[in-house]
Amino acid sequence: MITGPQPGKTARLVEAEVARLAIEDAGLDRSQVQGAIQLQAVGGKGLAAASSDAFPRVLGLPVTFSYRMSRGGGLAAWGITSAMSFLELGIVDYVVLVHAGVEYSRSRAGKAEGKLGRQQALKEAEGYWGTPFGDLQAVSHHSFLASRHMHEYGTSSEQLGSIAVQVRQWAQKNPRAHFYGRPMTLDDYLNAPYVAHPYRIPDMSLNSDGGVGFVLTTEDRARDHPHPPTWVHGVGFGDAMGELWWEKANYTQLAVKPAREHAFRQAGITLKEISCAQLFDCFTAELLFQLEDYGWCKKGEGGAFAAEGHIGPGGDVPVNTSGGLLSAYHFSDLTGLSEAVLQLRGGAGERQIHDCRFVLVSGHGGEALSPGMCSMHSTLILGNEQPQSR
Amino acid sequence: MAYDKPLPSIDYDSQPFWDGLRAHKFLLFRCRTCGAWYWPAAYCRFHANEPFMGEMEWQSASGRGNVFAFNVHYRAFDPAFKDDIPYVYALIETDEGPMFGTNIIGSPPEAVTVGAPVEIVFEDHPEEGFTLPKARLREGTK
Repeated sequence: MITGPQPGKTARLVEAEVARLAIEDAGLDRSQVQGAIQLQAVGGKGLAAASSDAFPRVLGLPVTFSYRMSRGGGLAAWGITSAMSFLELGIVDYVVLVHAGVEYSRSRAGKAEGKLGRQQALKEAEGYWGTPFGDLQAVSHHSFLASRHMHEYGTSSEQLGSIAVQVRQWAQKNPRAHFYGRPMTLDDYLNAPYVAHPYRIPDMSLNSDGGVGFVLTTEDRARDHPHPPTWVHGVGFGDAMGELWWEKANYTQLAVKPAREHAFRQAGITLKEISCAQLFDCFTAELLFQLEDYGWCKKGEGGAFAAEGHIGPGGDVPVNTSGGLLSAYHFSDLTGLSEAVLQLRGGAGERQIHDCRFVLVSGHGGEALSPGMCSMHSTLILGNEQPQSR
Repeated sequence: MAYDKPLPSIDYDSQPFWDGLRAHKFLLFRCRTCGAWYWPAAYCRFHANEPFMGEMEWQSASGRGNVFAFNVHYRAFDPAFKDDIPYVYALIETDEGPMFGTNIIGSPPEAVTVGAPVEIVFEDHPEEGFTLPKARLREGTK
């Protein structure tokens, strides 16, 4: 614990120092501490409209607890893992988890007013780096992953394009997808101008309006409800901060390894049992990396694998059957979760995967430091049969 | 002409780094116990630390590195960058180890390749009170 005035110091520094003290007090080696939670006071202080306080009021539910979680794009995985604690402790019987946004309309309104980019403060966010150099959007640094993979493995623009094209093909089967009715050929992709080379617009995920909500409960209550339940078979996490943030490998792979090991071990299945995968596709290279890192193909071969047509309709490794973040809607990993539930219930219509039993949903994101280090990864394995006792 | 690009975040943790830049020095954060280099300032990963990173300090670094990855912006996401289009934004692997992000200036984008050797140069903005670190391609085998 630290008390007394700390003039000039950042809260971030004091957080790191009390972490050091706690670890020392516990007699642990730094290398043993693999989880960290930043507890941050939000609202109060007369700022009564802070969203963490308005949320339960507007919700209109008799909640014993509510709180906000955020870290990159693994929102469903974080939410499920933490909600499980409350359920297992018997604090509540049901938890509703929600994600929503109006980024599509907000960015269009900003453009109309000539304020593109100006919704950002004129000063770089505290502790961050990049905007003074023109690092202004996610593509400004996520493009480094594509650049590095192309350099190390010869991945081509055409191969990135084949990913965008196949995910767009799935969107043609989803009437709710943003690009429903707007197919794209590889020529269309290659003719699209560069935004931040090597990325073009079709390499980049959407801004969307809308949201996803789901209710989590204990297994003994799961069957009391109108629809067949979707069961959580496994959940795992990884973070590039497990190594130095600038570890070179973090630019050609994602922190998939610990996440998939935890999730698949809990589920007791292998990749072969996965019927379809909903992989976090903020950009095409991130999807490519996951094809390698989960083991559908070898490291470096993701481009060739995608170009062979495995992931689109008719392929043997169906990926992002809703059209994903690239072509359907961006609700973080709830895009994948909602599609997984539809598929597992047999309710995916024209894009239904035959005999769908297990779906992998990944989450990804959360810059550890701009530029470039998108660090967290989550793996969720969902199924339509109750897990056998663990 | 008013400087209308975003201003850097300069705080307690990074103040010495920015002071160094104004003196045209490129500093990195180093552990006196084990010699590991870091950027930005962080607790050392490899052993117990002294209170508030007492064993770490900012030291002069070579200012040299190689392009690890880069992009070329063809679109200005903020009007302040319109005149810079197309501009290169790169991840530089410093000779000391840490990665560092900045623009590569003084060469056309086509001249930039992954692996190219670069050196840090100092772009003074005296009216705004800071100096920005940029990078320039240099001759050299490494």
